[in-house]
Amino acid sequence: MTDLLRGIVGMSDWRVWAMFGVGLALIWLAVKKEYEPNLLLPMGFGCLLANIPFSSAVGGGFLDVLFKGGITNELFPILIFIGVGAMIDFGPLLQDPEMLFFGAAAQFGIFFTMMLALLVGRIPGVTGIPGLREAAAIGIIGAADGPTSIYVATRFAPALLAPITVAAYSYMSLVPIIQPPIIRALTTREERMIHMENPEREVSRTVKVIFPIAVTLIAGIIAPMSVALIGSLMFGNLLRESGVTERLSKTAQNELSSLVTILLGITIGSSMGGKQFLNPTTLLIIAMGLIAFVFDTAGGVLFAKLINLFRKRKINPMIGACGISAFPMSARVIQKMAQQEDGSNFIIMHAVGANVAGQIASIIAGGLILALVR
Amino acid sequence: MDTVVVEGLRVSGLSYVLIFAVLGIFYGLIKFLLRMLPPRDDSA
Repeated sequence: MTDLLRGIVGMSDWRVWAMFGVGLALIWLAVKKEYEPNLLLPMGFGCLLANIPFSSAVGGGFLDVLFKGGITNELFPILIFIGVGAMIDFGPLLQDPEMLFFGAAAQFGIFFTMMLALLVGRIPGVTGIPGLREAAAIGIIGAADGPTSIYVATRFAPALLAPITVAAYSYMSLVPIIQPPIIRALTTREERMIHMENPEREVSRTVKVIFPIAVTLIAGIIAPMSVALIGSLMFGNLLRESGVTERLSKTAQNELSSLVTILLGITIGSSMGGKQFLNPTTLLIIAMGLIAFVFDTAGGVLFAKLINLFRKRKINPMIGACGISAFPMSARVIQKMAQQEDGSNFIIMHAVGANVAGQIASIIAGGLILALVR
Repeated sequence: MDTVVVEGLRVSGLSYVLIFAVLGIFYGLIKFLLRMLPPRDDSA
């Protein structure tokens, strides 16, 4: 009888109700708004499971087993990357390799936010961001890349993993709302109407096969800490491009991705316990995550405007905003904006090229941060 | 200035520059591959 009553007694804690609200809000965003539903829905339900008083799902339950077996050892984000790699076509980037530099430029938000978090953490009374490792884990939200954020946060700030993951995936789903006003503020209508010729260049299958192998070796030698992330992404891509492992490629794209996404989502949700989640640091992380996305976008757009000063054939500066890793959402947003200004303007190929470049750049950023931050 | 903030500035600046450097290497790699292995290479 006591066991039956203790659940009801546990409901007297306001944090339980607050976290039920958070969990239901995530489920609502997934179901009603279709914001990253594949992740937010399992996260929302995981949050509910973890916050039911005396829940058997946590405290040694199956969600704890999944957390130790998939998050603490970084297995889930790595497996997700194999699926992502199998889904990505690097063709548009290989046709127009200049787009790589927009991927680099649009990582600016990571470092701006990292410094901001570091400074905020120095303010007397602010707890939760005691040093560079925590600041770096918050800054990496600007990678606009869930698995990289989880990977870095697990290593540098496991206590902040839940809010960092929620912020990363929430803002990725909000890219169509976040990016357009920033782009409009930083560009003129004439700039947004710039047409870009589609690259006519054909890319051989041999190049597509060599590319993931070469990138893995080069990135791995320069930043060994990035091998797990870049290696799994490029392994997935090699399965796709080799042309001889179609079954494996399809499995990585579908079954593997879906299975790991379910487990990743519900496990991250289970880390959202009221005691850990409901504190001022969470609010700071949510706010700084938005700043990271804003400065990523600004960094990419301003970089495009800068190089336009030296080019005869101008680049549509909106392409710079696609350098954030939120793939393929950002490319779609920019193509839509281009068509709103001029219905005959098709910059989707360049946008996708910059977008996949952002995917590579965000992983390199994660690897470099892991290597350089002590 | 706080030594942690100085270290943060060093890591941020260095990382941002290194991202450009690494992607610059990839740029050179792609240009090289496209030149050395044009599409007709597929028949080989």
